[in-house]
Amino acid sequence: MSALTEYVKNITETVTTIFEGMAITFSHLMRQPMTIQYPDRIPKPVQETLPLRYRGILEVDMDICTGCLACERVCPITCITIGIEMNKETKQRDFSHFDIDICKCMYCGLCAEACPTGSIRHSQEFEGACYDPAGLVRHFVTEPVPLYKPKKGGETEPKMVAKVEVGLKYLDEFATPDKVGGAEEG
Amino acid sequence: MQSFVDQLIRDGYFQGTPKELVYAVAMLLAAFAVLSFFVAPLAGITSWLERRVWARMQSRVGPNRVGPQGILQWLADGIKNLLKEDLIPAAADRHLFAFAPYVVFVGFLATFVVIPFGSQLVVADLNIGILYILAVTSLVVVGILMAGWSSNNKWSLLGGMRSAAQIVSYEIPAGLAVLTIIFVSGTMSLQGIIQAQGWAPWDWYLFYNPFTFAVFFLYFTAALAEGNRTPFDIPEAESELVAGYVTEYSGMRFLFFFFAEWGNLYVIGAVATTLFLGGWQIPPITDQPVLKGILQFTVFFVKSYLWVFVAMWVRATLPRVRVDQLMSLCWKYMVPLSFICLLGTAVWMVIWPQGNRPVSMAMFVVGLVILALFLKRVGYQIRYARPTLYFKPHI
Amino acid sequence: MNEIAHTEGEVFHTEDMTLSVGPQHPSTHGVLRFVVRTDGEVIRKAIPDVGYLHRSIEKIGEKVTWHGYVPYTDRADYLAAMFANQGFCMAAEKLGSIEVVRRGEFCRAIACELNRIASHLISVGTFGQDIGAITPFLHALRERETINNLMEEICGARLTYNYIRIGGVGYDITREICDHITEFLDHFELIVDEFNRLLSYNKIFIERLANVAVITKEDALQYNIVGPNLRACGIKWDIRRDIPYSVYPELEFEVPVGTGEKGTLGDSYDRYMVRIREMQESCRILRQCLKMMPQGPAIAKVPRKFKPPAGEFYARVEAPRGDMGFYVISDGSEYPYRVRIRTGSFTAMSLVEKISHGIMMADLIALIASLDVDAPEIDR
Repeated sequence: MSALTEYVKNITETVTTIFEGMAITFSHLMRQPMTIQYPDRIPKPVQETLPLRYRGILEVDMDICTGCLACERVCPITCITIGIEMNKETKQRDFSHFDIDICKCMYCGLCAEACPTGSIRHSQEFEGACYDPAGLVRHFVTEPVPLYKPKKGGETEPKMVAKVEVGLKYLDEFATPDKVGGAEEG
Repeated sequence: MQSFVDQLIRDGYFQGTPKELVYAVAMLLAAFAVLSFFVAPLAGITSWLERRVWARMQSRVGPNRVGPQGILQWLADGIKNLLKEDLIPAAADRHLFAFAPYVVFVGFLATFVVIPFGSQLVVADLNIGILYILAVTSLVVVGILMAGWSSNNKWSLLGGMRSAAQIVSYEIPAGLAVLTIIFVSGTMSLQGIIQAQGWAPWDWYLFYNPFTFAVFFLYFTAALAEGNRTPFDIPEAESELVAGYVTEYSGMRFLFFFFAEWGNLYVIGAVATTLFLGGWQIPPITDQPVLKGILQFTVFFVKSYLWVFVAMWVRATLPRVRVDQLMSLCWKYMVPLSFICLLGTAVWMVIWPQGNRPVSMAMFVVGLVILALFLKRVGYQIRYARPTLYFKPHI
Repeated sequence: MNEIAHTEGEVFHTEDMTLSVGPQHPSTHGVLRFVVRTDGEVIRKAIPDVGYLHRSIEKIGEKVTWHGYVPYTDRADYLAAMFANQGFCMAAEKLGSIEVVRRGEFCRAIACELNRIASHLISVGTFGQDIGAITPFLHALRERETINNLMEEICGARLTYNYIRIGGVGYDITREICDHITEFLDHFELIVDEFNRLLSYNKIFIERLANVAVITKEDALQYNIVGPNLRACGIKWDIRRDIPYSVYPELEFEVPVGTGEKGTLGDSYDRYMVRIREMQESCRILRQCLKMMPQGPAIAKVPRKFKPPAGEFYARVEAPRGDMGFYVISDGSEYPYRVRIRTGSFTAMSLVEKISHGIMMADLIALIASLDVDAPEIDR
């Protein structure tokens, strides 16, 4: 008799679990899909919705770069190449080239963390595809640009204040040994 | 349709041509019309609908770019496959390899000849209708074995062998289920079976007695197995055998197999509707032939497409059974149960030769209760987990 | 060659078929290859052939600085990147005698448990897909998308995080992110129930997996299987419990062990259910961590040019695929002398040959999927 009960049990279990599974899939038919139909059927561009910490393609604000070469040293994959030369006329150092190879870049964020002013940082850009490999090397210096010298007592020139603040705001996202987390609400 | 052609000859349209030639040309034209204006778009739209239905069941949106709501996706796929290189492996058997898709295609296409879309809308009302369908759909086995063997590929061979075993085994429960209905209706002709039913649900053979109710599900499962649909899609199990017997096929040859599969879904639905759901029967609203024809066609189409939807739904839900479990399911469960239902129906017909209307009504109520329970369960699923928290806090 | 004696004096010779499953195959998890000798459906021998995804991550460790190597550890198993980060950082901290700040430890535990859930979601989803159920995979991926969004808010990346740094973590977890995580947990626990009802309790699924590819306790211990595969055989071994690290001694959680509920102990279904239960346990751990997280800095003070004194250390973490071990040797310079990564998937591959005798072709796929092997982890 136990073989018969086993038989009937098999049939009933199969039918009930299939019934349950089909109810679940049918219920999904009634729900909203979760697809974001990028790039054309979305209310605003995805770049505007990404958080500030998002590690997209690197960008450099040459106006506040001090030329300390910290990013070049710390990069684990040597994708940043910086050239600094002495400018004979102004007797100051200029950038001759600042290249980032974005196809080598690991998007690890170590260079952004090492930067003292926050001039090199990850942007929200992620669409970097192009038709030839030469386009994957971003050149941030087209003509020689002088190095930035941070002023004691803070920046005063209005044009630069905004840039410096953007850089510092980006650096603020990183955890540092002095920053106490969870203090706002506890 | 023969009466229509005879009428045309009597009206004097084809003077001087022998009658057989007129018949032959008329048959070819009818076949061409059915194939290109009904079957091809049907299989295509089924493929689009399958992808959309699966996608919504998986919380995503299916193809919705090509044409309004993506309805021309199948055309795009078809054209793309036509433009592909026709690749036949060097060591494959060329002629068998090329011939196999057509055999599979004919296997399902030839059934359209007898499917009754309306009381006057059938190409040929054979008096062995359902037997003809069972016989012709078995041709698919030959095609699949040819495909598996001629590809000269071990994977394809495995797929072909599995498929042959599967289809041949599941002919038995399908045949027994059909036999049950033939007992009840007394005729093998599809039009005859439909005319023996009524338009009201309790007059359908589905609710005729508890045995036919059970045998419907057995028939549907066996038909899914014959059509190589999940949970029985081992021959083309994508994740196990790469693509089973169609591994070496590419381009239009590949698409032919899937064309046959999607079209076969419709045939399954049509046969299920004919045998169990009362076919094209409509309430006696109108007598005007054209309107009646359109209504009957619509009713039949909707009923059979419902089962296509259920087949897609089942494929989205269930995992695949292993090939030895498939065999044990067939021989240990489905065949004995089909025999029990067959004998039960035979005994029922001895006791109540004209059928038992109160029991049919009661079965109809049972069916409604099952449906209500199902919908209640669906409501529970929707209330219990709120998966719309897909949590993009920014968009 | 096999011989089947048909009638007296008449013998049919049959031959075994040698197939190659992979390296391009939809269901070997990553680029793996198995050379399989079968007699029709039944497998005589299945030998794994690994190395298609070898990227010399261990050798690279000798050329980059200590801080610079952490992003490379992400890529050792990209589905469970946090754990590799943590393993290496634990070894480096021990060598450099750096004490991790408390808030940093909690952030690490939160990130790791989120990553564990994400990795197990992929594991059970692809498992269902290999068995033929295509829908649960998409549902699992939908939930993983939410976790990816959370990780994006925490550290800016969705797959290769470089979040756990030497001394703590790279970014702090703000209050807002904690609220998002709680919202996700409230929703996710219900989804796991729904997933179970759709897939785990399905009769066809159970029939496919019960009593299939059983790994006995002795085999598991002899072949050094770790992680959920080991726990499914009935052995209660979890690094978080037995060799505790980080904040796990203070947290309350169960270690799910296989019970042979639907078949034999140690079959594929047990391995699957252990992963589902681990996801539920991770939810518990996350709730506790969110409640217990103290204030404070999230990273300790570590010199830019990190030069630990000479020594060696073997750090172990409980990754989703088992016990991930980082054996790091330092010679006092700013580059490690040797980094050796030990992964659970690599040892699981060694077991495939023994278990695959006599199972069917479809069961081989179920076996590989149930072991949750991951090609990047095997080949590094």
